[in-house]
Amino acid sequence: MIECPYCHHNNMEGALVCVECGLSLWGNLQDELPTRELPDEASELSAKSGWGTATFLERNQIILHIRDASEPLTIAPGTEVLIGRRDTSSGIVPDLDLTNYGALEKGVSRVHAALRRGDDVLSLVDLDSANGTFINGQRLASNQPRLVRDGDEIRLGKLVMHIYFK
Amino acid sequence: MELADYYGILGVLPSASNEDIRLTYRQAARLFHPDVNRAPGASALFRDINTAYEVLSSPASRADYDRLACDLGLDTPNIHMDVVYSRRHLKPLDEPQMVYALLRVRSLQDIGLVTDAPLNICLVIDRSTSMQGSRMHHVKAAAHRLIDELHEDDIVSVVSFSDNAEVLIPAQCAEDQRGMKSVISTLRAAGATAMYSGLQDGIAQVRRRLNTNYVNHVVLITDGRTYGDEKACLNLAAEAREQGIGISGLGIGDDWNDRFLDNLAKQTGGSSAYISTPQSVSSFLQKRIRSLATAFAERSSLIIAPAPNTNLESAIRTAPDPMSMDTSIQPCPLGSLDGQVGLAVVIQFHVTTGSDAVNGEIPIGRVDLTAEVLGQSRRIERVARMLTVEISPTPPPEDPPIELLDVLGKLSLYQLQDRAREALDGGDYVEATRKLEYLATRLFESGEQQLGNAALSEAQRVAHTHLLSEEGAKELKYGTRALLPPLGDKDD
Repeated sequence: MIECPYCHHNNMEGALVCVECGLSLWGNLQDELPTRELPDEASELSAKSGWGTATFLERNQIILHIRDASEPLTIAPGTEVLIGRRDTSSGIVPDLDLTNYGALEKGVSRVHAALRRGDDVLSLVDLDSANGTFINGQRLASNQPRLVRDGDEIRLGKLVMHIYFK
Repeated sequence: MELADYYGILGVLPSASNEDIRLTYRQAARLFHPDVNRAPGASALFRDINTAYEVLSSPASRADYDRLACDLGLDTPNIHMDVVYSRRHLKPLDEPQMVYALLRVRSLQDIGLVTDAPLNICLVIDRSTSMQGSRMHHVKAAAHRLIDELHEDDIVSVVSFSDNAEVLIPAQCAEDQRGMKSVISTLRAAGATAMYSGLQDGIAQVRRRLNTNYVNHVVLITDGRTYGDEKACLNLAAEAREQGIGISGLGIGDDWNDRFLDNLAKQTGGSSAYISTPQSVSSFLQKRIRSLATAFAERSSLIIAPAPNTNLESAIRTAPDPMSMDTSIQPCPLGSLDGQVGLAVVIQFHVTTGSDAVNGEIPIGRVDLTAEVLGQSRRIERVARMLTVEISPTPPPEDPPIELLDVLGKLSLYQLQDRAREALDGGDYVEATRKLEYLATRLFESGEQQLGNAALSEAQRVAHTHLLSEEGAKELKYGTRALLPPLGDKDD
């Protein structure tokens, strides 16, 4: 089996292209993770090459470009931003509610992940979500915070967004 | 006189001993006999192998055959076929493994010496009400230019259809070009789209002057859908194939049924194309006709016979004019072989070796291409290739050939839009949206901004309305198809 680094579809041994998402499995398996950019204005905005900065200062804000959303979201984070989808029956209301961005269809859990402020850094932690949290295509182990950098791609289930620091 | 290349079919040299012939036949039977292999390609192939063996296994009939074959000159090949594999080594595994094979067919004739093949073509023109205005104007202009470019020994006919069909120009040599053009000028748009009768008359015109040294072809130009007679049209196309007549469809604007036109062309191995603006009718028509005229062989067909341990997953012609092949029809018609562009087919096999497989070379299938080489006498030529891989528990690292990677990368875009439409047909709009989003991402990655934007806006449309726009569906389909690289040097 070959797991596609982009959509995690299990492809047959010998496959050169992912049958699910069309990613070329050959080149991308060779040099680990490809640099992907959001196919909208965001890619022009960032114009980054390689890794973005990991420094996230007290005064910094987060800008989230959710794929297919018309407007980017600006968030001034406290110590923790809970990300998920609203559930009226259990009364869960996350800080960042993705219900309006197709969270249900895209497999976002009610309590999916959280962004946490550290000492001049920002980290993302998966909160035991059903469909996983990914940074640049790499799946996060549950409850283990990972550093987020400017321009990173974050994926919750199948919901893709890019994060920028301002 | 039709004479098949029995040595080629059996896979032995003409000098082979009777014992060699018997052993080769036994080997083939182990792979392709209906008792061990139920794939449609295998049974088609085994029928041919059986016929060949019947003739060659008896010394008397073999001697007769040798004499005839010598007279007809079957010994000088005109067609060359090579195979590029994604990999030649497989590990012994219980799970199926993917092997891609790229088939490339070229002419062995010296291109400089080949003159254009004479044409026997019929233009079947839709003159329903919707063609009124600039569409009809441009189709007429295109037909005029086409007639100007025909040689005197080409045969041309023109049929128009709306509520019923009318033969404007019966099949004749393209001598009176001025007269023909003035007849075309009288075309007026009015009425509905009754494609069947138009197609029927068009095929009848080509059949009147049917000649195996000519490229016999019907070009259908339409902007609409036909109602109720699609099935009849497809049957008509299948009959045309039996008679050696090809069909191509040119669709103008956004309303026509692209899948139907594709299916129609597929019946004969022809092609279909999407023309978004009336202005481009002329260049499309010329391109189509030019590629017909550079044909060096006609009525080609391919048998793909997987070995018993192998599944034939898909086969797609990538050049000329990409077309996904219906592998349940074997042999599969592939139309004319272009002397300049050649023919390329990408085949996906799923091979199950089993974890206890013995090291060494194993067959995964066989491909047989048959075509009629255009020339002085009619000559059916057949090229066969056995496809094999090697089993090794520690395979050496191999890089897939770059030409295969290139084709597969482009092909995956076409397949993504195809799967999005399939998902939508099944009512799974979430899946369709996802596929379109993947498609957009891949398109942007490869620098196709415009198509990427189209995919993205269709993804949004599907997410909200659960429908694709007619225009967007066609743009994506024909746009991704156009990305596929031609086999040889592009001359335009």
